[in-house]
Amino acid sequence: MKGALRWGKPLLGDVLVILVGLIVVAYLIKSLWHNEQAAKLQIRLGDKIYSTYSLDQNRTIDLQGPIGITRIVIADGRARFASSPCPNQYCVHQGWLSHKGQAAFCLPNQVSLELLSGEKPFDSLNY
Amino acid sequence: MTQPQKNKRIEIKTTADDHRIAKLAAFAIGLHLLEAVMPSPLPGVKPGLANIVTLFVLYRFDFATAAWVSLLRVFASSLLLGNFLSPTFALSLSGALLSLAALFFVQHLPRRYFSAVTLSVLAAFAHMAGQLLIVRFWLIPHAGVAYLIPIFMAAALVFGVVNGLLTNYLLRINPAKIDEAEG
Amino acid sequence: MRFLVLFFALILSACGKEPLVQTKSYVFGTLVDISIYGETEEKAHEVTSQILQSFQRLHHQYHAWQSDSELSKLNQTFAAGKQPVEISPELAQMLAQAQTLSKESQDLFNPAIGGLIGAWGFQRDEFSPVEINDLTIQKLVQANPQMSDIVIKDNTAFSTNPSVKIDLGGYAKGYALDLALAELQKQGVKNALVNIGGNIIALGQHGDKPWRVGIQHPRNPKPMATVDLLSGWAIGTSGDYQRYFEQAGKRYCHIIDPRSGYPAQSTQAVTVLISPSPQAGVLSDVASKPIFLSAPDQRANAAKAMGVDHYLVVDAEGKVTLSASMNQRVHWLAKPEKITVQ
Repeated sequence: MKGALRWGKPLLGDVLVILVGLIVVAYLIKSLWHNEQAAKLQIRLGDKIYSTYSLDQNRTIDLQGPIGITRIVIADGRARFASSPCPNQYCVHQGWLSHKGQAAFCLPNQVSLELLSGEKPFDSLNY
Repeated sequence: MTQPQKNKRIEIKTTADDHRIAKLAAFAIGLHLLEAVMPSPLPGVKPGLANIVTLFVLYRFDFATAAWVSLLRVFASSLLLGNFLSPTFALSLSGALLSLAALFFVQHLPRRYFSAVTLSVLAAFAHMAGQLLIVRFWLIPHAGVAYLIPIFMAAALVFGVVNGLLTNYLLRINPAKIDEAEG
Repeated sequence: MRFLVLFFALILSACGKEPLVQTKSYVFGTLVDISIYGETEEKAHEVTSQILQSFQRLHHQYHAWQSDSELSKLNQTFAAGKQPVEISPELAQMLAQAQTLSKESQDLFNPAIGGLIGAWGFQRDEFSPVEINDLTIQKLVQANPQMSDIVIKDNTAFSTNPSVKIDLGGYAKGYALDLALAELQKQGVKNALVNIGGNIIALGQHGDKPWRVGIQHPRNPKPMATVDLLSGWAIGTSGDYQRYFEQAGKRYCHIIDPRSGYPAQSTQAVTVLISPSPQAGVLSDVASKPIFLSAPDQRANAAKAMGVDHYLVVDAEGKVTLSASMNQRVHWLAKPEKITVQ
């Protein structure tokens, strides 16, 4: 009884704020996450596009950043940081990227990966 | 001649509140440091337990004191961690500033309906927004961070609620001075 | 706890939305491309296969040069004399619609000239240059087969002119589009794009964006522009590049001017954008032809007669003319040097 009093009863305003928060998060998920499979991997080094690769291939890319060599692997339509010279290894821990719009980045070595969709600028062709 | 000066210095500076605020700020710094060394699945996703202290101070003292504790924590922690003026510090500072701005606007919501949970959630959202702005416009302007926004915001919501509940709890088990005097 | 459950339910509902299901197959002697968005893969495949089945049925039933089709049998009785024969309610309705459109087009859309189309060799699966026989063509034109020669009554039909030979080649794909749209709506599909040999109809949209279609450049292998096809809208192009043969350096396309009996020479392509209506698909197929066959100064009138606001013409020199409303809808991928807005 005392414990319940200490936590207090949920207040109407709090519940509303949480609900609005949930709606915001759901909306963000809906609008920012695509289920579409990606077709290409774009790699940026610093502020330049290093290169764009098709995901229809298996290959390993080593690139020299400010603090060392970052290794990126493309396999089975997915891509990931395989190894990185950065201390925290956040980029490697992000694992495989496979959907359009997914991105991973390594701040210390200034490398970023972003998955893009295929180049088709339209859904179907009128002829 | 020297004696009165010494006395005067001591008399001016310390009240019981000063001591409490200093203790709370130290506590906030401790929590901040603890989180800094804790592993995180994604950079930027952290519980933000130090915000509990900010909220507690806001309720027990006032907004100015809460802002002071929050900013003191950001600066002191970065000095202790050795990342002062680094990107990490910028993320921390912009997060803290935006979350304080949010608290400034919502602190006067009627307490009957809105507890620390509301303040904590809104502050957490603002905190994330502040960090994302830095990421987008300064750290990695090109990379598609859009994909990560839902994760950040979902984390902000979850931790915001948890921190708010913890703040409510702490406020209840540590009643204000008036309550103490009366009880 | 309750809120966590709700939260994950929301995440799952957002992720559970199935992506695009696109199916390509070969019906009507052309590519049929059906995209369905926002349905489960299972449902999308089920609806797609139903639509393809009805396309197959249409193709066989109204085939212009397979002698066992309902249409071929009707053509045989038309040639034989004025005996009314029973036809399916669907065919009766199709012929009536084609009659109305033929009248609106001032006979420029004329599906009764199957004889001419055959003489030019376009009633074949694999076409090759034909020996052009001016006399045959002259005779076929003089016989003056018209849709208005057909008398339809109580699901029977006869022709007052034995030269009438129906070829629904410029109509059936559009009819199939309208049928597909109705079927999709009946099955509760909210978002789909159906493309039958270049004629396209849209339902709903592709995620949070409208369906976007490319418009083929009549001479280059790449599309020249894109158009956002809003829900219910249809698009169709008549082009001299679709089916044609070249002889002595001259291009003979499959769009035959019923007045002269010869393939049109003054136009490379006409694209029409049709606003939502129960016959949007049919119009997307039909309405481009009268514009294609009209003289340059008559194109606007031809479009107006068919109720078409949005049209784009590439003339024989490759110059682009388009209506003001079309100009607002087109996004150029390769903008022509000179565009005339009418």
